[in-house]
Amino acid sequence: MRARILNRADVLQIVDLLRAQGYEVIAPFCGRGRDSFFDTVTDENRGQVQLHVPNPYYPPKRYVLPHIERLLKMRRDDGHWQIEPTLDAPKRALFGVRSCDLAGIWHLDRFYLGREFRDPYYERRRRNVLLVNVVCTDTERDISDECFCVCADTGPAARDHFDLQLMDLHDGEFMAVAGTPAGEALFASPIFRNGTAAHAEKRRAILTEVRKRFKNTTSWFPATVRYVSQGRILDKTWEEIGNRCLECGGCTYVCPACTCFTVSDRQVAPNEIERVRIWDACALGGFTRMAGGHNPRKAVHDRRNRRFFRKLAHYFIQRELSVACMGCGRCAAVCHGDIGMPSVVEMIRRATAETDRIEPAIEMKAQP
Amino acid sequence: MAHHLTTCTFCGVGCGLYLETDGNRVIGVYPSMSHPTNEGRICLRGWNVHEIASSPDRLRTPLLRANGALRPASWEEALGFIAQRLTAIRDQHGPDALAFLNSPRCSNEESYLLQKLARAVIGTNNVDHGAGVYTNNSTPTLLQMLGVPATTNSIGELAQSEVIVVDGVDLALQLPTIGGWVLRAKQRGAKLIVIDARRHRVAESADIFLQNKPGTRVWLYGAMAKVIVDRGSMNRAFIQAHCRDYESWLEKVREYDLLAAADICGVPAELIEAAAVTYARAGAAAILYSTGVEVRGERSIQSLVNLALLTGNIGKPGAGVFALTEHNNLQGVCDMGVLPDRLPGYEPVASADARDRLRALWRGNALPGTPGLSSRPILEHRGGGRVRGVWFCRYDPVTTAPFCDVVDTLKELELVVVQHLFMTATARHAHVVLPLVAFGEEEVTFTSTDRRIQLAAKVIEPPSGPRPAWQQFTQIGRALGADWHYASTAEVMEEIAQAVPLYAGASHANLAQDYGRQWPCTKDKPLGTRFLYEDGIPGQPLQFVPVPRRTVPPGVPADFPLALVFGFSLYYWHRNVLVQHSETLKRELRVLLLDYPEGFVEINDEDARRLEIRDGAHIRLVTSQGASETTARVTREVRIGTVFVPFFVSEVARQIACALPVEVGTRGNPVYVRLEKA
Repeated sequence: MRARILNRADVLQIVDLLRAQGYEVIAPFCGRGRDSFFDTVTDENRGQVQLHVPNPYYPPKRYVLPHIERLLKMRRDDGHWQIEPTLDAPKRALFGVRSCDLAGIWHLDRFYLGREFRDPYYERRRRNVLLVNVVCTDTERDISDECFCVCADTGPAARDHFDLQLMDLHDGEFMAVAGTPAGEALFASPIFRNGTAAHAEKRRAILTEVRKRFKNTTSWFPATVRYVSQGRILDKTWEEIGNRCLECGGCTYVCPACTCFTVSDRQVAPNEIERVRIWDACALGGFTRMAGGHNPRKAVHDRRNRRFFRKLAHYFIQRELSVACMGCGRCAAVCHGDIGMPSVVEMIRRATAETDRIEPAIEMKAQP
Repeated sequence: MAHHLTTCTFCGVGCGLYLETDGNRVIGVYPSMSHPTNEGRICLRGWNVHEIASSPDRLRTPLLRANGALRPASWEEALGFIAQRLTAIRDQHGPDALAFLNSPRCSNEESYLLQKLARAVIGTNNVDHGAGVYTNNSTPTLLQMLGVPATTNSIGELAQSEVIVVDGVDLALQLPTIGGWVLRAKQRGAKLIVIDARRHRVAESADIFLQNKPGTRVWLYGAMAKVIVDRGSMNRAFIQAHCRDYESWLEKVREYDLLAAADICGVPAELIEAAAVTYARAGAAAILYSTGVEVRGERSIQSLVNLALLTGNIGKPGAGVFALTEHNNLQGVCDMGVLPDRLPGYEPVASADARDRLRALWRGNALPGTPGLSSRPILEHRGGGRVRGVWFCRYDPVTTAPFCDVVDTLKELELVVVQHLFMTATARHAHVVLPLVAFGEEEVTFTSTDRRIQLAAKVIEPPSGPRPAWQQFTQIGRALGADWHYASTAEVMEEIAQAVPLYAGASHANLAQDYGRQWPCTKDKPLGTRFLYEDGIPGQPLQFVPVPRRTVPPGVPADFPLALVFGFSLYYWHRNVLVQHSETLKRELRVLLLDYPEGFVEINDEDARRLEIRDGAHIRLVTSQGASETTARVTREVRIGTVFVPFFVSEVARQIACALPVEVGTRGNPVYVRLEKA
């Protein structure tokens, strides 16, 4: 991959370059308090784009998989139904996407495009999206109490899946790394200059330091994958987790890797029906209920463990080639009952004290 | 695209959330991380609020009844008709032939104008909110005992509570954000005491779960008070300094007995004792109860407030009494004086001073001094036939009133005015229907259950046609000769600040600066009040109320061994018409309706096994007065020996309620039934 150096003062010129190329540029902004959000850059708000900011809570995945989107419209004219698909695929650049969210989009790619059925709505949207990653290097502003990308192995610096990656080298300079030809094409601008070995060394040093500054390390993550895959977690533990779920669906809505949706038809005019796709959540009873009335996951803890099976079981990891948890920590912040991924890993770790007791007793008597 | 901070309007918690808009469309929603009430959490309803704003079923034009059918009409026609009919009925039958009812979801501004229209322009105190039929127990009790009719502390303070008592409210389903605070406080080491006949989600995490028999709370609290007094664990210094009537209360507490109470409540004596000791020892203990239908008579509210006074749990963070409102603006609607016996700011209508003060502010007619009719007698029998015209603002009693068939009453009325977003069941029986603008289409304020007056922002333009309710009231007021010239809701709030002392500092500009303001928000204290008496308790504003032990405990009749528990708690949000317009929420409700298409009552699995009743089986509820048929939903959540009747199954509830001599919602004694296979 090619790398260049640019001045901090010139970083937002990348936004201008992209806008000049006809991209709708989406970038992070500050809301009230510690709230932040992704929004479209305009002439008015361009100066307020943030490079270091708490990662917006409402994830940028909605630019490839909207919270609610119309798939098609059915209109009746003279007794005939006209069906017209809605293929909305704006040319967009996501500027300031964090490494965890980038990994999330790649995970969505694997799910929606990586197998037998390719999702045409997703595909069109995704094809028109350019991704500019910003590495989390500001330990105060970029990294929250809940972040654990170092354990999910997605950050703080993404290794691939971006078009362009930007990293603050802290002394008025940024390093830009191109991940695709589209990203590399930007290097034609005079704001970029060649770097030196010292820049590469600086990058390594900063990343080493940042890795040490994460507050939430779920070091038991890989072991949890093994426990979940082998079905070694007691029902009691799942029940404990389920009892703290208030079925809000928040964890799935904010998850950069959650893929589930529902489809619903609704009448919008006397002769017009639209079909919409809406984010769905495995926490909800209606999500798993079957047409005949049977619900294989009727109890709340059965629905809750479904979330963790889907994210941590070996079968799914093999299928999508990645763990469906990116370590962004949003589920920990959104959860009423504090059963986000880090807490669940911790609960499972503690419960192993009990599972280990029911394993075959070790023969302590000396053999004659 | 744009992001707007606003207030969720589904329930009384008042979470802060952002709406994302694209042009004139709401395309997304997410919680605010910084809002002190929810700190990044919202519930399923909040997460789907954006679907509702785009609902295609909205009413667009006024409708006027002609030749038996509702037909589109112009605003001039509709408002002119209403003004003429209101005048005619008032002139012929007097002002008390008219009544004005609203929903506890109405904004502060429109609630204020509704009662002002009734009192100052028409001249009647026939003003009430839809929840009044079962929630007005709390207002007088809290006013008398605490001096303030509201939750004393802030929701976010639950993080500082050492003990939390959750009494008779299913937080997980009703008020999930508060449920979350409770669960997280418990994780951090707070002790959780749950009092409920239902084993609900939050009860699963309880340290002490008191699953009492229905109708026995007064005994339970009495026994807890007795334990605290006997052990000398009361806060004597606090009681002496700030409370009145302690001695007379003490005399009545001596009547209670732990072992007898344990027997009556069906709860082990050790658990009651442990709960009392835990509560009394805490540095800060909060009691949460619902002002919703499951409420209990005023005796049980008095009992729990007495307990808070006894242990000095008023006037410090993390403590207090939380009178939880389940509707998003029940608190504000009451603050605005949408009550038949109280003016804005809770002054009694009988007070001549208060009436004169308002008359001077309103520069109008003399205000009526006798309390008006409350909503229940109006809806049941037109207040004994006296009421001839009723105005319903966002209120749909045909769907929501659990106690009677409102349609029969509506048919007898000469004038029914309905203001709503949608063609509701009540609107179908109206003479005039006026379309309203929705959440996100106008800037108004709501007051949450912890007294937080908050702005709901205007984020999109309303569809063409509907007008905001405050404009409709202004136009009607002027058509009836009043000198009303409000140009915005902010101007209405300026007048509210003069009428309601608790809101004196609450201008829209002030509310916009932070995350709203908690009343009392006065000129001297413009930043509001986090918890009541935060600057110290002056004198003795707190009052014990003696609760004598009832001599006859509720005995279970041998022929009718199961007690009925009525409740809104489960699936109550079905009653919110908005839910019907969100795909996700609608689906979640349908799951239950599909599983039990004719409704259901819930029985415990052990009772079910003994009676050989399976889940989904048809059953008959037999009382000494009559019988009702329905479907059984078998669950471990309900207590053995009880049958839970959710009110959303209105037919069953009505059949049972009408077949029985029971005052639903104000009941003193439980109703007992026998179950049979149908």
